[in-house]
Amino acid sequence: MTTAYEYRETLLKVTGVSLILGGQQILRDLSFEIRNIHRPTQNQGQVVALLGPSGMGKTRLFHILAGLDPPDTGTVQVGPEGKPVQRGMVGVVAQSYPLFEHRTVLGNLLIAGRRAGLATDQARAKANGLLQRFNLGAHGGKYPAQLSGGMRQRVAISQQFMCSEHFLLMDEPFSGLDCVAIDEVIKLIGEVSTSDELNTTVVVTHDIAAAIEIADHIWLLGRDRDAGGNPVPGARIQANFDLIERGLAWRDGISGEPAFHELLQEVRTRFATL
Amino acid sequence: MKLIVGVQLTAALLIWMGSPFAVLPRPPEVARALQRLWAEQGLGADLITSFQLNAQALFVTLVISLGLCYLTVLPFFCPLASAVAKGRFLSLAGLTFVFTLVFGGGRPLKLSLLVFGMTVFFVTSMAAVVAELPRAAFDHARTLRMTEWQVVWEVVILGTIDRAWEVLRQNAAIGWMMLTMVEGIARAEGGVGAMLLNQEKHLRLAEVFAIQLLILLVGLVQDYALGIARRISCPYADLKLERK
Repeated sequence: MTTAYEYRETLLKVTGVSLILGGQQILRDLSFEIRNIHRPTQNQGQVVALLGPSGMGKTRLFHILAGLDPPDTGTVQVGPEGKPVQRGMVGVVAQSYPLFEHRTVLGNLLIAGRRAGLATDQARAKANGLLQRFNLGAHGGKYPAQLSGGMRQRVAISQQFMCSEHFLLMDEPFSGLDCVAIDEVIKLIGEVSTSDELNTTVVVTHDIAAAIEIADHIWLLGRDRDAGGNPVPGARIQANFDLIERGLAWRDGISGEPAFHELLQEVRTRFATL
Repeated sequence: MKLIVGVQLTAALLIWMGSPFAVLPRPPEVARALQRLWAEQGLGADLITSFQLNAQALFVTLVISLGLCYLTVLPFFCPLASAVAKGRFLSLAGLTFVFTLVFGGGRPLKLSLLVFGMTVFFVTSMAAVVAELPRAAFDHARTLRMTEWQVVWEVVILGTIDRAWEVLRQNAAIGWMMLTMVEGIARAEGGVGAMLLNQEKHLRLAEVFAIQLLILLVGLVQDYALGIARRISCPYADLKLERK
């Protein structure tokens, strides 16, 4: 299936990022960029899945991309203007979907809006718009403890969009979910992606099948090998799978297709060597 | 549940009434002693004195302890909070001399001893609550562009108010437990603690039991009131997901 698209400006650029913790090299000279994918027929955001074995520095990279931790060397630039990343420029949805438990759903969104510099009226209007968009309109007065896991995740995403316009990092959004719930999350990420041309989501996950279903690109994080086959300290991007070229991106129901299973096997095989 | 509590209370009363220990005062004797203490010996006024002392000590403890515990987000204050918490192993009796030198006698002495006794336990519990806050909670607030002080306000202070109420309830109970000893050290002002020790000195066991029961009753009412205040100020604290 051929889908017309083109790559435009760079939205997220990581250049030469290295990180050493406790004398151990975690990330080494890591560079990549995410560009705006333009489709003439519809709003199409970007979804990149970042996969890698445990202990490979995914969480550290996650913190660096969010502006929560600085790298030892290198830069992270966000947006078409290439601004150095700062806290709040990139939305973060952690695995546990943290929210302020002492505030209502609407209160959680309003405080995020106020911190983003919105006036009270503007924050309320934006919050109500997000609640409607994510089917949470009837739950604005509830406290987080009263929400199901799926609702909580949607509130967490909405809260981040109150502050960060287009960038979203999601840490293990499929962890511990059953297959129905995973399908819901895949649908949700698809909705986020198609709601704005510039929306850019980076998903850190171990779930290869789910990654193939949602992403337009899959990156594998791992260590280089020296001539003797021994791992070189410090992780980098080892492989980039372009799902658009393979005709697997932006489509529902691909899990039954041979191309899906071929890619699944290919990623698994490569994953085992990391 | 109410039925179970009723049955257990009745059983406890029956066991008390049928106790083989002859010296143990029976409920009617305790009731008469309570009436006597109230009517003839000013138990009501002493109770008010003790209640005010305990409430004042609780307020001072709350201010000192919460301030110190919230400051433990700064590494500089962690050793101080840890040292204060270790003070719970010290005996108040052994500290009376030092406190008398610093605060003199009478009410200031009693207040300072009570505040010390409650603060060491309050800081132990509340510092643990603050220490258990996950990094993800702080990072979450930071991703919303909050400054470090706003993070402390939202995550550490507002985010732990419900647990601070629980710690307060425990310490209010500890306060009543320490009251007898503290009021025994400086008896000039009276109070139920001083009255209890006087009655015990003369082996008036019915009166001792009456005062103990009254302290228990006041403590339970106070705990109930604090529980209601917690539910009103933190309506989210006991919420659970309702599956229909």
